[in-house]
Amino acid sequence: MCVKSFERFNGRRSGAGKAVAILSHGFGTDQTAWNALRPWFEARFDVISFDLAGCGPQGAQTYDFERHGSLFGYADDLIDILDELDVHDCTYIGHSMSGMIGAAAAVARPELFERLVIIGASPRYLDDDGYTGGFQPQDLEQLFESMRANYQAWIAGFAPMVVGVEDSAVVADFSNTLFQMRPDIALNTSRTIFTSDLRSLAARVSTPVHLIQTAHDVAVPVAVGHWLANAIDGATLDVIDASGHLPHMTAPDDVMRILEQRLAGTAL
Amino acid sequence: MTTSDSDALAALCQFARLASHADLVMAVEVDAGGRATWAVSAPALPSPSFNLARSGILEARWTGEAMDAADFRLPTAIIHALEGRPARLLYVPAPSHGAPLSGLLLLWRSPPAPAALTAQVPLLATSVARLLSARREAARGTIVRNQFLDLFESVPAGIVLIDGDGVGAAVNEHAAELLGCKAGDHRAADLAGPMRALRQRCDNHAELELAYRAQINNDQFAAKQNWTLGERTFEVDTHPVRGNGAHGRIWLFTDVTADLLMAAELRRLASSDPLTGVPNRRHFEECSAQIIAAREANGRAVAVLMVDVDHFKKINDTYGHPAGDEVLKVVAKRCRDALRERDLFARFGGEEFIALLAASAVDEIPAAAERLRSAVAADPILVGGDRISVSVSVGGAIGEALPGGDQKLLEDLIARADEALYEAKTSGRNQVRMAALQANLIDL
Repeated sequence: MCVKSFERFNGRRSGAGKAVAILSHGFGTDQTAWNALRPWFEARFDVISFDLAGCGPQGAQTYDFERHGSLFGYADDLIDILDELDVHDCTYIGHSMSGMIGAAAAVARPELFERLVIIGASPRYLDDDGYTGGFQPQDLEQLFESMRANYQAWIAGFAPMVVGVEDSAVVADFSNTLFQMRPDIALNTSRTIFTSDLRSLAARVSTPVHLIQTAHDVAVPVAVGHWLANAIDGATLDVIDASGHLPHMTAPDDVMRILEQRLAGTAL
Repeated sequence: MTTSDSDALAALCQFARLASHADLVMAVEVDAGGRATWAVSAPALPSPSFNLARSGILEARWTGEAMDAADFRLPTAIIHALEGRPARLLYVPAPSHGAPLSGLLLLWRSPPAPAALTAQVPLLATSVARLLSARREAARGTIVRNQFLDLFESVPAGIVLIDGDGVGAAVNEHAAELLGCKAGDHRAADLAGPMRALRQRCDNHAELELAYRAQINNDQFAAKQNWTLGERTFEVDTHPVRGNGAHGRIWLFTDVTADLLMAAELRRLASSDPLTGVPNRRHFEECSAQIIAAREANGRAVAVLMVDVDHFKKINDTYGHPAGDEVLKVVAKRCRDALRERDLFARFGGEEFIALLAASAVDEIPAAAERLRSAVAADPILVGGDRISVSVSVGGAIGEALPGGDQKLLEDLIARADEALYEAKTSGRNQVRMAALQANLIDL
C-alpha cells in the first residue's frame, strides 16, 4: 500500500525495537515535541511520529477546515497512516488533543492498538453539570478573541502559561511551533479542541489506557484525569507532582519513570 | 427550500431505518472525490465532515444486500455516531447532480435477523437522489442570493433594479437614501414617484426630462446622464439587464462630485500660469476662441488689450529676480481685479499680459484699458522693504466677431494691439493707445 498519508504528515520512523510506538503530539507543537523522550522510545520501540494536520512545516497543506473541524478527522488521518504502514497492536502515545484522537481511533479500530498512553488529555474543556472541565464559555470566547485579534501577541502570553514552569527553552520551542501555524488554522484548531465533547467515547474504549498528567495543568485540571480514569475501564492514572501542560518536554525524566513502569513488558 | 428537502431526507432515513431495523441510517452527499459534503441521519446526529474515499464503500458492488462491516474502513465519526462498531452495513448508491457518489448508508450494530423490508430500501434511491439534488440546488441558490445581496449593498453606487416583468424592484441602501424610500424589495410602480421626484429636484431637470422622454417606450435604451443635485452630481447609468430589457432594467447612481471637482482642478492646474495664478497663453487661446465664437452669433465687438510692464528688466536688475516675480504677481492681480468677471485675462509670456474683452459698446474698451493702467500705477508695490513704482503700457484693438473668422480675428487683433502697445511705449510708457477703429465699427 502507498504511504501517502505517512509522507503527507511528514512521517518519521526510527528506533531499534520491534513493537511499534506511535508518538502523536498536541496542539501548538509538532513532532519535535518528542525530542526529549524519543531516545528512550528508540531504544525500545520501532518509533513512528508525524505532524498533525495543520501543524509542522507543511501544516497549511495538510489542514482541511471541514475534515479537521472535528477530532474525528484527525483520528481518520491516524488510521490512514497505520493502515498504510500495516501497523497493528501499536503502543500509542498521544499528548493533549492527540489523547482523544487516539481514543476515537481505538474505539473504531481496536485491533490497531495494544495500549494507549494519554498525556494531558481532556474529553471536554467546558464545565458541565457534575463535570469540571476547567473552562467557562466566556473564557473560551476570550481565548478565541485574543487569538483572532493578534495571534503573535496571544502566543507571547499563551506559551509561558501553558508550559507552566520557568523553562525558557521549552517556552521558546513551543512559541516557535505555535508561530509556525497559520493563525486561521490555529484558531480553528483551538475551536475544534476546546468545544469538543468526547466524554461518551471514554466508556467505549476497550484498549488498555495509561493516563499521565501534571498536578497543575492550565488546560486540564486534575479532576479531568480522574474523570477519565473512572470512565475508561481499567485505566491507570499517574499524576506528576509538577506544573505545566507539556510534561514530556518540561519533565521528561518523570514521564520516563512512569513509562518504564507502565510499559514494562511491552517493548522488546 | 433547503429545510423541507433536508426534512424530507431525514424522514426518508427514519422510514428506511424502521423498514430495515438498522441502528443508523444516513443520507450522505458525496462528491466525486469521496468527500461527504453533507449528511442527515436517523437518529439525528451532528454530522462532521468525513471522507469515504478509502472506506471501500464506494467501490463495492451493492446489490441491496447488507455486507460484513469488517471489510470496510469506516470514518471514526460514523462509528462514534453509531456508538460503537457496526457488524453489517449496506450502501444504496443514489448519484445526485454534482455529487455522483451520494447514497443511503445503513448500519447495524449486531448481525441482524434480516428485516423483510431491507430488500425494498434500494427503491428509495431515486427519491434520495432527487432530494439531495434539490437540497443542493436550493443551498446553492441561497448562496448565490446571499452573494448578490452582499454585492448589492457593498458597491458604493445606488442601485435600483427593476425586474423583467416590470412588477418587482429592489433598492439598495445608497439608492434608498437618494430616493427617500426604504431599502429592499418594492413594487416597481411604487418607485416611479420617488424616481420622478428626484429627477425634478435636479438643477438640470429640464435637460433630463428631454433626454428620458424620448425613450419612454423603449425598453432597450441605455444612457448615462449627470444628475446635478445642488453641489452633488450623480452619474446615472441606466441600461437593460444583460443587454435585454426583458431581463429587467438597472439604474446605477454614482456620486461623481469628487471626480468632477478633481477634473476641474486638474484642468485649472494645467491651464494656469504657476507664478501669477492667472490662465496661461494656451488656455487664453482656447477660451478666446470660445468667446469669439459666442460673439459671432450676434456680431458684437470683441477687443484685445496687450499689457506690458514698463522697465521690467530694470526692476529685475535693481531688485533681483525674486522681486521681479513678486511684481508680476501683483500686476497680474491688480489687472485681474480691474477687469470684469467675464473678461479673459492671461499671462502672454515674460512681462506681457493679454486681455480679451467682449463689449456691448465700443467706447467701453478704452475706458477698461485706462482702468487697467491706473490700477497698476496707483500705488508702489511693496517687496521686502522696497517700494517699487511700477507702471504698464497698454495697447488695444477692437474688432467685430464674424462667423467663421475667429482664428483670423484673434491673430489680427493681437497684431494690431501689439502695434498700439509699441506706440504707447514710444510715447513715454504708462499710457494707453488704441489701434484705429475699423470703419464698420464706428457706428456700434
